[in-house]
Amino acid sequence: MTQNFRLKNGGLINRDKKLSFKFNGKSYFGFEGDTLASALLANGVHLVGRSFKYHRPRGFFGAGVDEPYAIVQLYRNGETEPNIKATEQELFDGLEAKSVNCWPSVNFDIGAINNFLKIFLPAGFYYKTFMWPKSFWYRVYEPFIRKAAGLGVASTKHDKERYEHKYDYCDLLITGSGPSGLASAYAAAKNGAKVILAEDKPRFGGTLLTSDVNIGNQSGKDWSESIISELKEMPNVTVKNRSQIFGYYDHNMLVMSEKVSDHLPKTKKYHPNKRLWYIRAKEVLISSGSIERPIVFGNNDTPGVMLSSAAKEYLKVYGVLVGKKPLVFTNNDSGYETAIEFKKNGVDPVVLDTRKNPNSEIVDEARDLGIDIKYSYVVVAAKGYKKVKSADIASISEDKRQLGKIERFKCDCICVSGFWTPTIHLASQSGNKTQFKDEIDAFVPGKSKQNETTLGAANGIFSLEQTLKTSFEAGNELSKKITKTDKKISVPNVVEKKSSQHDKFWCVPLPKGKNYKRFLDFQNDVAVSDIEIALREGYRSIEHVKRYTTLGMATDQGKTSNLNGLQLVSEIENKVVPSVGHTTFRPPYTPVSIGAIVGREVGKHSKPTRKSPMHLWHEKHNAVFVDAGVWLRPRYYKNGDESLFEASKREAKNVRSNVGVCDVTTLGKIDVKGPDAAEFLNRVYTNAWLKLPVGKARYGVMLREDGIVMDDGTTTRISENHYHMTTTTAQAANVLSHLEYYLQLVWPELNVNVVSTTEQWAGAAIAGPKSRDLLQKLFPKIDVSNEGLPFMGFIEGDLFGIKARIFRISFSGELAYEVNVESDNGNFMWEKIIEVGQEFKIQPYGTEALSTLRIEMGHVAGSELDGRTIPYDNGLDGLISKKKDFIGKRSLQRSAFTAEDRQRIVGVVPLDKQTSIPEGSHLVKDDKAKLPNPKLGHISASCWSVEYDNPFSLAIMKDGKNMIGQKLFAMSPLKNKVIPVEIVSSHYVDPKGERVRS
Amino acid sequence: MRSQNEFSYGGDASVKRPLLNKEVSDQEWDNFVYNRKSLRGKHLELWQHISGCRQWIKVERDTSTHEIFRTFKADEEVA
Amino acid sequence: MQKYSVFNLIKNALSNHEKWDLAWKDPSPKKEYDVVIIGGGGHGLATAYYLAKEHNITNVAIIEKGWIGGGNVGRNTTIIRSNYMYDDNGLFSEFGMDLWRRMSQDLNYNVMFSPRGIINLAHSDAQMNVYARRGNSMRLNGIDAVLLNREQVKEIIPMADFSENVRFPIFGGLMQPSAGTARHDAVAWGYARQADSMGVDIIQNCEVTGFDVSAGKINGVRTSRGDIKAKKIGLCVAGSTNILAEKLNMTLPIETHLLQACVSEPVKPVLDNVVTFGAGHFYISQSDKGEMVMGGDLDGYNSYAQRGNLPTLQHVLTEGIAMMPFLSKLKMLRTWGGIMDMSMDGSPIIDKTHIEGLYLNCGWCYGGFKATPASGWTFAHTIAQDRVHELNAGYSLNRFNTGHLIDEKGLGTKTWIS
Repeated sequence: MTQNFRLKNGGLINRDKKLSFKFNGKSYFGFEGDTLASALLANGVHLVGRSFKYHRPRGFFGAGVDEPYAIVQLYRNGETEPNIKATEQELFDGLEAKSVNCWPSVNFDIGAINNFLKIFLPAGFYYKTFMWPKSFWYRVYEPFIRKAAGLGVASTKHDKERYEHKYDYCDLLITGSGPSGLASAYAAAKNGAKVILAEDKPRFGGTLLTSDVNIGNQSGKDWSESIISELKEMPNVTVKNRSQIFGYYDHNMLVMSEKVSDHLPKTKKYHPNKRLWYIRAKEVLISSGSIERPIVFGNNDTPGVMLSSAAKEYLKVYGVLVGKKPLVFTNNDSGYETAIEFKKNGVDPVVLDTRKNPNSEIVDEARDLGIDIKYSYVVVAAKGYKKVKSADIASISEDKRQLGKIERFKCDCICVSGFWTPTIHLASQSGNKTQFKDEIDAFVPGKSKQNETTLGAANGIFSLEQTLKTSFEAGNELSKKITKTDKKISVPNVVEKKSSQHDKFWCVPLPKGKNYKRFLDFQNDVAVSDIEIALREGYRSIEHVKRYTTLGMATDQGKTSNLNGLQLVSEIENKVVPSVGHTTFRPPYTPVSIGAIVGREVGKHSKPTRKSPMHLWHEKHNAVFVDAGVWLRPRYYKNGDESLFEASKREAKNVRSNVGVCDVTTLGKIDVKGPDAAEFLNRVYTNAWLKLPVGKARYGVMLREDGIVMDDGTTTRISENHYHMTTTTAQAANVLSHLEYYLQLVWPELNVNVVSTTEQWAGAAIAGPKSRDLLQKLFPKIDVSNEGLPFMGFIEGDLFGIKARIFRISFSGELAYEVNVESDNGNFMWEKIIEVGQEFKIQPYGTEALSTLRIEMGHVAGSELDGRTIPYDNGLDGLISKKKDFIGKRSLQRSAFTAEDRQRIVGVVPLDKQTSIPEGSHLVKDDKAKLPNPKLGHISASCWSVEYDNPFSLAIMKDGKNMIGQKLFAMSPLKNKVIPVEIVSSHYVDPKGERVRS
Repeated sequence: MRSQNEFSYGGDASVKRPLLNKEVSDQEWDNFVYNRKSLRGKHLELWQHISGCRQWIKVERDTSTHEIFRTFKADEEVA
Repeated sequence: MQKYSVFNLIKNALSNHEKWDLAWKDPSPKKEYDVVIIGGGGHGLATAYYLAKEHNITNVAIIEKGWIGGGNVGRNTTIIRSNYMYDDNGLFSEFGMDLWRRMSQDLNYNVMFSPRGIINLAHSDAQMNVYARRGNSMRLNGIDAVLLNREQVKEIIPMADFSENVRFPIFGGLMQPSAGTARHDAVAWGYARQADSMGVDIIQNCEVTGFDVSAGKINGVRTSRGDIKAKKIGLCVAGSTNILAEKLNMTLPIETHLLQACVSEPVKPVLDNVVTFGAGHFYISQSDKGEMVMGGDLDGYNSYAQRGNLPTLQHVLTEGIAMMPFLSKLKMLRTWGGIMDMSMDGSPIIDKTHIEGLYLNCGWCYGGFKATPASGWTFAHTIAQDRVHELNAGYSLNRFNTGHLIDEKGLGTKTWIS
């Protein structure tokens, strides 16, 4: 195809580089520097998609971030991305795009039937119907609505692109490279401030690229280029294009999304797709400019109707004519700029100005150029379905209520200008209470909330001269305070055309007998009549209006529709706009890729992985790992084709009959040091700690202040003022923080220090009747007899030349020891234990066997200490000191905690001694009772007792103390199981605890 | 200025733990364990520099604007 | 009152939609009411509706500081479920599920309740066991629950991460098929419209400035629109509970925190269910409009700002991509925050107070939306009868004193850890 609408010359595109691309399967050409939108327009393509609700044809309305409806499905390098604004997507060779929200095609869309039914589908219609019959909403109506909604198609493939994060600091962050951004950046940079200048478009310069102005004897565009190239050379300045500041957060933290690769056919090696910048700025200068607002008229959504500034941008930046017979419809001087550009390029526009006799330089210029101007004229309605073919126009009375005779005017595009809306989003996000400025019919920032200053058009200043003057000043003043340098820049001489007052007119009345849809929100199909219905039905708050009609809730977030919506509401409600108020501006300013927000923490890296020093050994020996928080622990060591059940049974059995070794490195370890350490432990744990001798360990339970068990573990007195505390793997971090809290805030008088030593030590538990023999071989010089190293004893030893700590503690309930060495020696220790243990038939065991061993002994672990149980529930009430106070003790007096029938741990055995009871089952008296069936307790842990070779479980049950011997049912409806059981003691094996002391 | 990510929150700093071994009423104890004013505006609260020096600090912050007015060391009395 | 129906819609279309009635009126406050409900959110509106409908008490005013439905009922992620472990929560919520199922018809307002099912993903056998405990408890309470294995989960949500490149593989999940979503605004508006039609005054832009309490009894409320006398007053202001409690010299076991949520740009249907991530706090569903609705952790410090910070959202979305990697290519469209009443055991309070005639409904944490009908129903009962119903007996204020806590998560008083 030829680019019929491309001018022979002009524009900022690179005509030497032709790019080919496809849209809806058809091939086209464009140039380097085009957007998808400009390239399509150059080829005369105006029909891009279909609207959300009525599936009306939609084209291009803007030329950038404010675009409400030119949304496509993009295909790039084998991947697809939904909802790309064609006005923002830069063209690359091989680009493919398709229309969204239409079927079978954008030209013939079945959904367009809604357009004919539209009188039955006003705002909120779905709240009033689809209610009968009852089940039909979810089964029939809703699936239909869901299919019809939702723009593009999400790929469910894994994203191959990479996203990076960057953190930066600066003195001044400047959000936009138009005249105010450039001037303030330049002044601040000259004062030596660290400046970051962000521009969301590929080209710097903002409106200077399209305005017919002169700055210091250069064109606006040339001036911007010279400033930018000077800024780029300065070491204290970072200039970023394709970078959108989208969020203004607390403490002057702003976030910017930089598109690194979207303009390329494929992402370069080692490059991210996008880079997210967290920028902490001392001062923020908001130079985000303004967005032209439309005038509302009949069928104003027809492809070919667009903002006049967009038409001008297509001409001046891309050398593209959006039409060859343009109609410009304006209420201010901006429309004339577009008309003049058309005229200069050999196309004759007609201007309809709502004003009666505007008087300004630019109007004079247009008149002098011979442009046909009709004053006090409006477009009543656009004509044409898939493209503007003509317009119904009419004169309008001074009070703007009466239309003259309707005339049909042939045109192929309508360029609309309803004056300008400052882009105040960032200021508002910062907390700035915006205020309505009557002269411009729009909101501007009020008093600064954080260190933010809004400049130029974003602040409602539309004169270039004034913008430059105030922006140079702001840049200088703010940077001067930071750098203490004051290099005054003289403001260059500006030549611009003086503007006259715009017309406070924003909506064309309906001619008698006509029922045109006059759209406010183009993407969501919200028309004037929808707002009228909402108000008529009492949805009067602006938030109600927004929610009821969906005004401003589309992907453009109402950039071109919100203010007109407000005008309408205030007019109907007979209020002034500021008292209606606007809805809240929230980040992001424009949609941001979720991948960019997340960055590198994806896949296996979504959370850290911690491994013990013996991890490689476990891997080599067929360990199957289990996640324990962020740690990986061997769950069992697979022998041939053993199942989890078989392996863990073998491992546990071997502990009971010979000796096993288990990696316990992941247990939390905390050094508690200082003269008051004993007193501190005495307050932290429920039992007594003041008399623990050096060289001895003790089991302790600690509570939260609400009386609930927080954690348990053993603590050993290594020397006079040095204790080694262990915690469970899960609670290690919480316990440390808990201890620090009490030491620093509650009892600062205690002379104690705590520090985590979890990473310092590798630990191996050696358990089983032969563990003493093994220990003796490992430490031949130590007396490991029951007298030399009794239960709960501690000794330091020499393990083949390595310093080791030996604790005689046991979780398995067997005679057991725990050996700790410094982490670097962990693997050495482990291999020595395995090697020396061979003659005692040693086997490593994992967490599954460990569970079996502890369950049949009735030792509690995480499934009982679940943040809801007190010591009594776990049979740990014997560890509660009556004599002393400790954390959480007062809470134990509460009536629910002291009730006679308080829940308590019990053992549960199936009557048939065969059927394992699934964990999470509940105990009930009557398995056939009607629901809700009262639950007596739940199965917290289950195992296959290797001691008795039958299933055994632990349960926490109501009045557990008095339930021993009861016959009940364990029910797991989820697994369809009802198991008759008997309640027994939780200490199923070795109830007197003789083995650990043997 | 440090990133929020380095810190972990610790709740209302104005809550005082009753002294050990002191008889306290149910009401006093509940006020310590459960009851919180948690108002809009200035709020004295605890933060721990958990990914740093591990010090607990007191911070006076506005709960509606997140503005931070003053900070105190753990053992510093707040006037 | 005009009935909403397809026939009426057509009829009104033919008269250009110019004859629709007001959904609710905008009256000025009277001098006195039998009952004043403070808070025009979902719970307050539902309470007024059930006072009128179930107890025939219609001399009722709802007073609202801003616009009705502007609090958490209008800024939540619309999930409706009763998948609780404890009886107090489970039976209460399941009672609510029944009300949800017929709400559109009861209110003659389509609230779009869709039982699309909720799946809680599990990432270890231990977590499967924890879910089994909860699921079995649900089943024994007559609530539907299914334990799914990895393959069954994959069949329902194949777009979740079942690849090798995953930190916490999916082991299975607990599903409540009858759980679902509804259109949040419609719930508030539907209750408002019916309450209004039965004579309840909905008074917006009316801020409470104080209370009139004497001799341990409530007499009325002072507002920005004048004093209003009332025999009974129900406090229903999640997010502002502490502020009003202070005016009553009450200190409650509640902290005020911010929860953020966000939506992506709309896409064609890809996810039918509500899914929660088990190795974190992320949850997601897809709205009828096509937006992916996502939420997760609290911001983690006391807050009244209806705006959040990015680190929390980043953390939440990290979990989102860990669960469903395809989210990476979608764009975040809108973020917002809601102010939560975080109670000290994670469960709500619906109770009388030590002040005669003053009733309290608060502490909903992030589970307030789904509770709207059951909360309104039981609160109306508590106010009308001056005694709690057995359904809300567990939600007493003094349980913190007695130790009868309802702590589903076992996290205790650190309310900011979600």
